[in-house]
Amino acid sequence: MHLFWKLRWFFQLERKRYLSAVTALLIISGLVMIPPKLAGYIVDQINQQHLNADQLLQYCGGLALLALFIYGLRVLWRIWLFGASHHLGAILRQQLFNRLVSCNSAFYQQHPSGDLLARATQDVDAVVMTAGEGVLAMIDGLLTGIIVLFIMSFFISWPLTLVALLPWPVMGFFMYRISQQLFSAFHTSQTAFSELNDCVQEQLSGIRLVKACGQEHYAQHLFQQQAVKATDASFAVAKVDSQYDPVITLTVASSFLLSVAFGGWLVANNRITLGELTSFTMYLGFLIWPMFAFGWLLNIMERGAAAYERVQSLIDEAIPLPEGKASFSAQTISINLELHHFHYPAYSTCVLHALKIQVSSGQTLGILGPTGCGKSTVLKLLMGLYPCSNLQLFFNEHSYRVCTAHSWRKHIAYVPQDPFLFSMSIAENIALGKPDASIEEIQQAAQIADIHEDITLFPQGYNTQVGERGVTLSGGQRQRLAIARALLLDAPLLILDDALSAVDVKTEQAILSNLKHVRQNCTTIIAGHRISATTDADQIIVLQQGKLIEQGKHNELLNHNGWYAQAYHYQQLEQRINAR
Amino acid sequence: MPAKPKSTSLSLWCVIIRLLGFSRHLPQQWRWAIGLLVIGTVAQVSGPILVKIFIDDYLMTGSYPWLPLVVLTSGYILFHITGAFAAYYETINFYQIALKVIERIRLETFANVLHLPLRFFDQTSTAWVISRVSNDTEVIKDLFVHVLASMLKNTVLVVGIFIAMAILDWQLMLITAAILPVTVICMVAYQRLSAPLFQRVRSLLSEINTRLNESIQGMALIQIFNQQSRFKQHFSNTVLAHYQARLKTVLLDGLMLRAAIDLLAMLVLAGLLLGFGYQALSSIAEIGVIYAFINYVNRFTEPLIEMTQRLNLLQQAIVAADRVFQLLDQPGNATQKLPKANAPVREIIHHANIECHQVSFAYEADNTVLDSISLFIPEGTFCAIVGHTGSGKSTLASLLLGLYSPVKGDIKVDGHSLSAINKQVLHQFIGIVQQEPFLFSGTIRDNLSFGVTVDEDELNSAISAVGLQETLEQLPNGLETHIGERGLNLSTGQRQLICLARVLLRKPKMLILDEATANIDSETEQQILETLQMMHGKITIIAIAHRLSTITHADKIFVLAKGKLVQQGHHSCLLTVGGVYRDIYELQQFSGAVG
Repeated sequence: MHLFWKLRWFFQLERKRYLSAVTALLIISGLVMIPPKLAGYIVDQINQQHLNADQLLQYCGGLALLALFIYGLRVLWRIWLFGASHHLGAILRQQLFNRLVSCNSAFYQQHPSGDLLARATQDVDAVVMTAGEGVLAMIDGLLTGIIVLFIMSFFISWPLTLVALLPWPVMGFFMYRISQQLFSAFHTSQTAFSELNDCVQEQLSGIRLVKACGQEHYAQHLFQQQAVKATDASFAVAKVDSQYDPVITLTVASSFLLSVAFGGWLVANNRITLGELTSFTMYLGFLIWPMFAFGWLLNIMERGAAAYERVQSLIDEAIPLPEGKASFSAQTISINLELHHFHYPAYSTCVLHALKIQVSSGQTLGILGPTGCGKSTVLKLLMGLYPCSNLQLFFNEHSYRVCTAHSWRKHIAYVPQDPFLFSMSIAENIALGKPDASIEEIQQAAQIADIHEDITLFPQGYNTQVGERGVTLSGGQRQRLAIARALLLDAPLLILDDALSAVDVKTEQAILSNLKHVRQNCTTIIAGHRISATTDADQIIVLQQGKLIEQGKHNELLNHNGWYAQAYHYQQLEQRINAR
Repeated sequence: MPAKPKSTSLSLWCVIIRLLGFSRHLPQQWRWAIGLLVIGTVAQVSGPILVKIFIDDYLMTGSYPWLPLVVLTSGYILFHITGAFAAYYETINFYQIALKVIERIRLETFANVLHLPLRFFDQTSTAWVISRVSNDTEVIKDLFVHVLASMLKNTVLVVGIFIAMAILDWQLMLITAAILPVTVICMVAYQRLSAPLFQRVRSLLSEINTRLNESIQGMALIQIFNQQSRFKQHFSNTVLAHYQARLKTVLLDGLMLRAAIDLLAMLVLAGLLLGFGYQALSSIAEIGVIYAFINYVNRFTEPLIEMTQRLNLLQQAIVAADRVFQLLDQPGNATQKLPKANAPVREIIHHANIECHQVSFAYEADNTVLDSISLFIPEGTFCAIVGHTGSGKSTLASLLLGLYSPVKGDIKVDGHSLSAINKQVLHQFIGIVQQEPFLFSGTIRDNLSFGVTVDEDELNSAISAVGLQETLEQLPNGLETHIGERGLNLSTGQRQLICLARVLLRKPKMLILDEATANIDSETEQQILETLQMMHGKITIIAIAHRLSTITHADKIFVLAKGKLVQQGHHSCLLTVGGVYRDIYELQQFSGAVG
């Protein structure tokens, strides 16, 4: 019930629909008491031979009208109640998404995407269930139960009610026990099922070996073991689950037996009429649903509460960092970065130490170093993706601390290491940062990135869908598409994070010379480990284990005879091998 | 590979019949289930008749002779107990049928998957296969339990109830029967109207999930490109569209499901009372009859609602079954069906001389990976195949293993063409150690024996041959230690040594190491080299290697470049001659420094 209190903001918001639904349910609970009463009355009239045809027609006609009226109310409360509960789902999903959009990369590093996804889907569904079926079970189940018991004991006979209800506590006990057993059986079966999945996964990942050793039958044997285990576990669940029905049937039957036997005695002694006994047995049928509703309610509330906890904690936790308020607009960018040290949140190892970088506007900076040296981290800090308290960062004279993230980032065009493409058309992917770009602009950007020819070869050209339901692009094609995407922005600062690693050297050089041509006077940062991409840079820095170890122009660094020179020779050699 | 859902009623029946076909081997269970179903139904519908007799013959007359009453009461109790237990065992039998069917489908599907050619796995993601083998079959289980079985049960129950009603009073039965055509119309109409609505809800939901998933993965990009508000807007639109679609299903459910059946039941009650009343006006009324009828009406409304609601599952299950059949019907590996050469391996292959003759290969038609490779590997030698990334050396290993067949040319073992040798024979003859040591979750012993029976001595000698005895002795459970996700974590090197021991246990005549030393520490590499040294001369060893330190002692080194054989000879010769081999060698000297 705690959960209903936590959800009060929503009930408040949807009070119209909830009040209407609850009112309708209340009216229905009252109205459905009439038909049994009426049936009992007619039976008595027949029995006492007081019945006449007109009266009968009136009663039955009235009953039919009542049926239509109740039908109308039933349709309405469903629309109100379940409509409202689905609205909660929509609200929670939007809230979650809006929060997610404003979280920085540090947040995403700490929350696996599978977990975030589960909260936004399954957990939200569980909360929706509480706001719909949960409310129904509570209002309708409890209400019907109370009204029926009231009518049975006060309008017919309380001793009969007591006798008829004797078997119900026994049923309650069995139902509780079954639900406990079911819970553990279900858990076992879930485990067996995920083990089956693991088994398939495992065998398929080793399929080459299995085939090379001709061990298909052994793999099949292992799979069969798991499959049989899964079957057995499911069967155990089925066995427990099937116990509900006989327990309910037998309880209801013995309850009927008791009420007919005792009721018969009461009728024989003229304490109640035969019609009242008929009504009574009909009311008894109404008690089955509240019994269920109670157990169901507990179950829904338990799941809903845990789910809402998870959803809410995510919404609470995903608080965007405070950012500056100033905004600025510049045609050219010079960079001034000074950093004492940096480590990723939730990790204690420092990935960058004492770094000082200065780039004048219009210059090109190359950042080189072995894998894991901190190149990408520097770029991420430049774009303000991670918070860092000891970072001094200026674009021209503007400190990143006082600027809004929006105004800071609109000066940056970024090409990531592993380009991510959305399930949209190729044109939409290129126009990610400039959705209103004309097709000419898009094509121009694609031409500079040397991807235009490739795109025209796709079945629908620029309108070809990317992703699961569309084409799969090669690594090189994705990188070039990401470059086109960045170029379309025409931003004063272009950042290439190992963005040409999957294209061959010839294409790399073509793209770089295109860039030089169209981006005169623009600041460019090229990070990577291929030296050919940065030979023309105005300034090159070499990082190793987060420390700056070399700095200078290409020729200076070659003479220095350190990491840079060695890497250069290595790559020359590699090119020679590839050329053979 | 997108599934093409076929929604014609013809294919629906085809799918159901094919699914039912999987339960052919369970006639026993079917007989029990049907038998129990009939018994249970008869017992269930008899109860109200007994009450009717009690009311009309005794209660109304006011006479209470004890013997008939005791008979009635015990009959009532007996019927209910029988009914309850019959229903219980019948449900369990239906479950058993369903679960056995699913198990069979799973086993057959997986067996088919195992025999698919490797090309299939190159093109298909593991998740694609898993979702068919386990998730979709789970949906089919629901079809069996909640649709087929419940349809059958409820139909029999409804028929039983109407028979009982007809016995009591056929006129009143006819009044009640009016509910049936209306219900059927409702069910059909609901099905027609709801299928597209639910389809839309499901597709919008999957769009929400896709958008969420993509946004979470590409969030940094969205933020750097300042596109937060646009993505919020898109997401919000999809969520609202989903909400709107859901409202339509709520409306439809509200109009046609429970409320509608409840309406019909109440109308039938009115009709019953009316009919009964008119009867009573003209003749003596049997109150017990109306009691029994009201009881029956209450009893069959629930099954009717259930059937209407569960029809929805049917659509989903048909789609799932379609997807499973897609995998089940994938044509298997043709070579599996070759006539078996039954002669034991040693009689066919005496020497393990390998000869490649003008071998060419391409995964895709116009992308040649191997180009006219000819080489000879004599029995008992240690040969190496080296080359830079993309030179085709791993493909050559796959061809030697018979995993793929050459597009042109031929590979011969002792003069027998590789493709003509029975696969089973070939696998006894060749052993392989891969780059990624593959161990499945199970004990170390299971992993070593890997489906063949071995005695303890062989096991121990293989373990000591790869220098694992000390490691194993330190484990509390020794060979019985569990490894894998929920067990012991071994280092990559240790795992690779277990893989090597596993191969040695199978006593191959030829051992292929496919980049087996690429990911391991130099200590393990040293151990593997020692083991190889021990085997040298006894079996043919072919090492595919990127890391040259592994193969400097090889009798002969074949150097591949861009799919062509460019050099061959001994390490020292190749170094003095210069060329690709020396370049690669120098490159590796460098790579340590550049990292």
